Amino acid sequence: MLENFSFRTIVEYLPLFGQGLITTVWLSALSFVGALIVGIVLCAMNLQRGWLFRVPAKAYIDAVRATPLLAQLYFLYFGLPRLGFVLPELVVGILALSLNSGAYIAEIIRAGILSIPRGQVEASVASGMTYVQRMRLVVLPQAFKVTIPPLLGQGIVLVKDSALLSLISVSELTRAGQLLASDRFMPAEGFLTIAAFYLLLYYGLKGLAGVSSRWLGTAGART
Amino acid sequence: MTKTGLAKTGMIDFRGVNKWFGTLNVLKDITLSVEPREVVVVCGPSGSGKSTLIRCVNGLEAIKDGDLVVDGQRLGDPATNMTQLRTEIGFVFQSFNLYPHKTALENVTLAPIHVRKIPRAEAEKAGRELLAKVGLADKVNAYPAQLSGGQQQRVAIARCLGMRPKIMLFDEPTSALDPEMISEVLDVMVAVAEEGMTMMVVTHEMGFARKVAQRVVFMDAGAIVESGTPEEFFSHPKTDRSRAFLSKILRH
Ligand SMILES: Nc1ncnc2c1ncn2[C@@H]1O[C@H](COP(=O)(O)OP(=O)(O)O)[C@@H](O)[C@H]1O
Ligand SMILES: [Mg+2]
Repeated sequence: MLENFSFRTIVEYLPLFGQGLITTVWLSALSFVGALIVGIVLCAMNLQRGWLFRVPAKAYIDAVRATPLLAQLYFLYFGLPRLGFVLPELVVGILALSLNSGAYIAEIIRAGILSIPRGQVEASVASGMTYVQRMRLVVLPQAFKVTIPPLLGQGIVLVKDSALLSLISVSELTRAGQLLASDRFMPAEGFLTIAAFYLLLYYGLKGLAGVSSRWLGTAGART
Repeated sequence: MTKTGLAKTGMIDFRGVNKWFGTLNVLKDITLSVEPREVVVVCGPSGSGKSTLIRCVNGLEAIKDGDLVVDGQRLGDPATNMTQLRTEIGFVFQSFNLYPHKTALENVTLAPIHVRKIPRAEAEKAGRELLAKVGLADKVNAYPAQLSGGQQQRVAIARCLGMRPKIMLFDEPTSALDPEMISEVLDVMVAVAEEGMTMMVVTHEMGFARKVAQRVVFMDAGAIVESGTPEEFFSHPKTDRSRAFLSKILRH
C-alpha cells in the first residue's frame, strides 16, 4: 500500500490543506467564543430559582445533548432558509457549533459554580453582598479555575466537530481531504493528511491545557 | 426583662420564634433578648439547634413564626433591608470559610470596599490594623491555605471586624481547631467582647464564658431549657439535662 502512497500529491495539495487548516482554526475559535456566550447565558438561566428561565434552558440543553450534531447542522442549514434567513454556509456552521457546544459549556460552568463550597456563599451573604457581588467577587473567580481544563476539553471536541461543516461545503480542513480524495481518487492521502493536522491541533490545545493547569496550580493557593 | 411590647427592645430579640426543617421543630418557642454590649454564650448537645438559632439572626435561616427583631428591624418584614442589616452583623463560622483565592488582607477588605464602599486605601489601612490586632501583621499577604486553622479563624474574625459591625455571631469558632490553637482565637474573642461588642457565641469553652459572658443559654432539642450567669449555670445547673450535658463536656 505504501508504495502507492503519493507524498508528491500531498505536497502538491499542501496549500489547500493549509487554507483548510487556517479556516478550521479560526472558525473553531469563533464558534468557541460563541459557545462561551451561549453557555454563560444558558447557565445563568439554569441557575435561576424561578422556572420561567430555568425550564427553557434545561429543555434546550437536553435537546442539544440528545440529538446528533449532524441533525442539528442540517436542521439549521435547511430550516433557516425556510424561515426566511438565507445565510452563508460558513455562518450557519459557526452558528451550529456555537449553539451545540454552548449547551455542553453551560453544564461545565454550572458544575464549576456548584463545586464552590456552600460556606463560600454563606460567608459572602453574611457580609452583606448582593447576589451579583458574590457571584463576581467570590463564586465565579473560584469556579473559573475549576472550569478551565474541561472547557479546553470541550474546545478539542469542537475542533473535531467542525469537520462536519465539510458536509455543507465549508472549505475547512476535512473538505480539503475530501477534495483530494474525490479529485484524484486518493482517500488515503487525503484523510491521513487531515488526521495529522487534527492531531497537531489536538496537541496544541492539550499543551495549552497543561500550561493553564500548571499556572492555576501555582497562582493563588486553594485549600 | 420585657417580653412583650416594643417599649424596650434588645439588640437581638427573639419572641416566640419557631422554625421547622420539614417536620422537625428545630427551634421551639424561643424567647430571648440580647442587650447591647451583652455577651451571650449558647451551649447544648449537638443537634439541639444552636447553629440554627444564631443563623436566624442574620437571615441565613428564615423563621416560620414568632418575631425576631435585630437592631430594631423585624426580620421578614418587607420594610427590612436584609442585605443592609447583614452589614451590621459579623458571622464567624466553625469552618472559617475564608475566600481561598484572596490573601488575608483581601479577605478583610473585600466587603468593606465593595459593600461599605470604603475607599480602597482606607480599607487596606484599616485591614492591616485589624490583622495586626489579631496578631497576624506578618501574614497580610498570605493565602488561607498557607495559614494554620487558628490563624485562619483570626483572619475570619478580622474580616468581620472590618465591617465595623454592631453584632458578632460565632458558631463554634474553636471546634475545628487543634487544641493548641484554641486559646489564640479565644484571646481575640475576649478582646472583641471587652470592647463592648454585642455577641452571641455558640461554644462549649467554659473559660471563655466565665471570663466575658453575662449569660449562658442552654439549649436542648430546639428549646431553651436553662439560662443564667456563667457562675450559676456551670456551678449550679438546675435541670437534669444541663447536668448531664455538663458532666459530658467536663470529662474532657
Ligand atoms: N438545612 C437543614 N435541613 C434539615 N435539617 C437540618 C438542617 N440544618 C440543621 N438541621 C437539623 O436541625 C437540627 C439542629 O441543627 P443545628 O442547629 O445545626 O444544631 P447544633 O448547632 O446545635 O448542633 C439537627 O437535628 C439538624 O440535623
Ligand atoms: Mg452547630
